[in-house]
Amino acid sequence: MNTMKYAQDHPGDNVLLESIGGVVDDVLESAIVAHLDRCHECCERLERLAADADRRSTICQSLVREATATRSSDVGGWSTLEDFAVGFLQPSDHPGAIGRLGEYELLSVIGQGGMGIVFKGFQVELNRPVAIKVMSPHLATVAVARQRFKREALATAAIVHPNVMPILAVNESATQLPFLVMPFVACHSLQQRLDATGALPIVECLRIGVQVTAALAAAHKQGLVHRDVKPANILLERGIDRAMLTDFGLARAVDDATLTRTGVIAGTPGYMSPEQARGESVDARSDLFSLGSVMYAMATGQPPFRGETSYAVLRKVTDHRHQSIRSVTPSVPLWYATLVDRLLCKNAADRFGNANEVQELLEVCLTHVQQPGAKLPAELTHPKIGRRIGVIAILVVMLAILIGVMLYRPTKQAIPEFEVPAISDSLDDELRSLADDIESFDAEVTRPFDDLSIPAPTPEGNLQ
Amino acid sequence: MLNPETRPSLIVRLRDSKDQSAWWVFAQTYEPFLQHLVSRLGVPAHHVPDVTQQIMIAIAASVDKWSNDGRDASFRRWVHTIARHSVIKFMSGVRRHPAPIGGSDAVAVLESQAQRDDPATEQQYDHELVVWAADKVRHEFAASSWQAFTRTMIDGEPVGDVAESIGVSTGSIYMSRARIIARIRQIIEGVMQ
Repeated sequence: MNTMKYAQDHPGDNVLLESIGGVVDDVLESAIVAHLDRCHECCERLERLAADADRRSTICQSLVREATATRSSDVGGWSTLEDFAVGFLQPSDHPGAIGRLGEYELLSVIGQGGMGIVFKGFQVELNRPVAIKVMSPHLATVAVARQRFKREALATAAIVHPNVMPILAVNESATQLPFLVMPFVACHSLQQRLDATGALPIVECLRIGVQVTAALAAAHKQGLVHRDVKPANILLERGIDRAMLTDFGLARAVDDATLTRTGVIAGTPGYMSPEQARGESVDARSDLFSLGSVMYAMATGQPPFRGETSYAVLRKVTDHRHQSIRSVTPSVPLWYATLVDRLLCKNAADRFGNANEVQELLEVCLTHVQQPGAKLPAELTHPKIGRRIGVIAILVVMLAILIGVMLYRPTKQAIPEFEVPAISDSLDDELRSLADDIESFDAEVTRPFDDLSIPAPTPEGNLQ
Repeated sequence: MLNPETRPSLIVRLRDSKDQSAWWVFAQTYEPFLQHLVSRLGVPAHHVPDVTQQIMIAIAASVDKWSNDGRDASFRRWVHTIARHSVIKFMSGVRRHPAPIGGSDAVAVLESQAQRDDPATEQQYDHELVVWAADKVRHEFAASSWQAFTRTMIDGEPVGDVAESIGVSTGSIYMSRARIIARIRQIIEGVMQ
């Protein structure tokens, strides 16, 4: 029956549209195709319905051009890093150099960072090896990217600290690609280390943690928030145990309002704080959250918030609690997990007050790990006392209210209705007084409960 | 390269939550195209995420200037216009000095006389959009359907010949290629509208 359909008639536009959308059943589909086999007019109508003639021809022309281009040669551009480098370097007489950039001889490519390429270089005049970070030419055409590069130089120059990679020189002329000059240090990033070895031993986590926290404390003291604390921005010097915080390209002064005004945030979703992810203004405590994520990643080998897309990660950062550190790696000590949990509190006020405080705690922890006799900080061993009292208080209050409701109501309503007060006089009084007791208890408990529900001990207020 | 862990992201604070979700829908469809475009402009693979990111930030920054004109899909149209404009501006920049030569004043001179509305750049933008869309939908179709489409519409072989060589009817070739064209059109409209 259906196969006979469209033997004579032409299918309507809506039927053809449905078949283009692939929402017709097999029987109808074969009837339509059978009709198309015989009816050229309907084939043309079908094509028009798929896309109007103009659009169809632009699509086809583009694909034809593309097919010819692919066959003949590839599109221009740099296929290799060397091609890229050659594009902007001046020739060099120095043996072994790949080229010259201003007063620097470039020797080799160390790596490719977020914003550009890092070269190992040599400053002839001062006879010293340097690392030179050259901005990608494509980013150099984007104004915001140039600003970011400049900001990195300015921010870093403001912080002199053994755990902050210093910047020796900046070139930001309009005619050249912007570049930053840093001391040459044989190092790899914490990210590379985690990729290669997975989770680190606790003593390593603490050693690195202490130094990163010290660097943050130094930045915060200058009123700067790093805003992009993540393993890729932590460099580990080879041979010695030095960790250095780098890439202050997103760093801003705490009171800098530009961010909230434009409403744009750059950062790395996996290590971002919830307030940063929401586009709210951030302060030093945002860096503490990111530090918590780094501490989590070091101990488990994976960041606390993961997802398929950056948006999914952001949602997790803002809305979901991280998976407990000890459920990922059971060997992590409870006190370490407690510390990380505290750093990863969604509410900035629930985190530690400042980086100095965290640094001190981490130092005590490090001593404890290295000399097992040494005591751990009390707030990490009995962290939840405050919270537990809060929970108990809530339960007591709820129970009291429940009892109150169960007992109090019948006495109040039922008795006057029946007008037989003599029967349960004593019981009634007893219940009334009990209910009153509960009420006063309730009032008493509610106030302290407010204080108890905030687990953070006192220092926060005055250190902010 | 597209690992969300390492790729920076951005968010826009728009007052209206409807606009905010419209932004996310846009970002999710536009970003992959931008990545395609940026790498096709010759940006080394390692820099593609960052360049893309910076352009997205530039777009997002302009989005903030949006004001409702009261017509349908006002925000959506605004975003697409802004995006197209920002990207074409970026492309003209790359075209002018794909690899700036250190110390040359020529670049600064070129930069000062910035030409907008370079028709070649706009053409390239539209071209890349089609190439990207075709690439994106390709896996949705059977190999034989795709072959029917390319051979008849791109290589210009007669429908009858291709039908015979693949072993299908001419009607089914028309059907396949209509479906493919319709999908490519949809994808492009998702980014262009």
